[in-house]
Amino acid sequence: MAPFEVHRTNEETTLTIRGSLDINSAPALNDEIDKIVPTRPQKVVVDLAMLDLIDSSGVAALVKLYKGVRNTGGALMITGARDQPLAIFKLLRMDKVFNL
Amino acid sequence: MAPPIRLSVPGTLLYRPIAVRTVAEAARLVSCSPTNDIKDPTIDPLVHDVRHPFDTAVVSAFMEIFNNIAIHAYQRRGGGTIELTITPTSDSLLIEVKDSGRPFDLGNVVPLPADLDEESLPEGGMGIHIAKTMLDDMTYTPGPPNLWRLYKRLPAAQVAVGRS
Repeated sequence: MAPFEVHRTNEETTLTIRGSLDINSAPALNDEIDKIVPTRPQKVVVDLAMLDLIDSSGVAALVKLYKGVRNTGGALMITGARDQPLAIFKLLRMDKVFNL
Repeated sequence: MAPPIRLSVPGTLLYRPIAVRTVAEAARLVSCSPTNDIKDPTIDPLVHDVRHPFDTAVVSAFMEIFNNIAIHAYQRRGGGTIELTITPTSDSLLIEVKDSGRPFDLGNVVPLPADLDEESLPEGGMGIHIAKTMLDDMTYTPGPPNLWRLYKRLPAAQVAVGRS
């Protein structure tokens, strides 16, 4: 089972990621991102409250989503980052860009 | 001192979870971090409980090095092994990682931009930066075999807490 699920409403697209987002699971998320971005969502919420582990491949996927959504005029918000994933975002100094 | 922990796995990403789990457990031997509440079904206590800062640092760094070997040394084709020798002490962890793939040129790693903003967010090249920053010492010696040495000390205050 992919470690993520997508929920769409008229107002926003919510992407919930759980478990480990890493080099083995990020390709499936990248495929999903390739479906999300062309829909030009106005608001995307990425919920990381259930994400336990992330590596650079997982971060790259989220950066790809962030840039894709922003480039099509939408807004992306990341919520719930904690523990190891939050430490990684801080180490990469992405916490400020993502408002974590 | 106990003898080192040794593990040999095929050099493909399929075996990454086994290696990561082993390293996470070894880190916990040093940090003495508690395991998760086993009543919480949402978290695998063996794989995902790396909330202690020491465990976070060790596992984060190791994941990137394993990725690097599988992708760059073995070019996603496997064909060799990744051999771990893990030496936990009361206040540190040393992980030696050997592979027989193509040597990696650390000098070609591009540093992250000094001022990160929306425009300069990187979509790659972060792995070595994560590993190096998370550890107290990291060295790489091209082979064969290629040898990564990953070293992390447990801060003194955490040693005291862990043993109390």
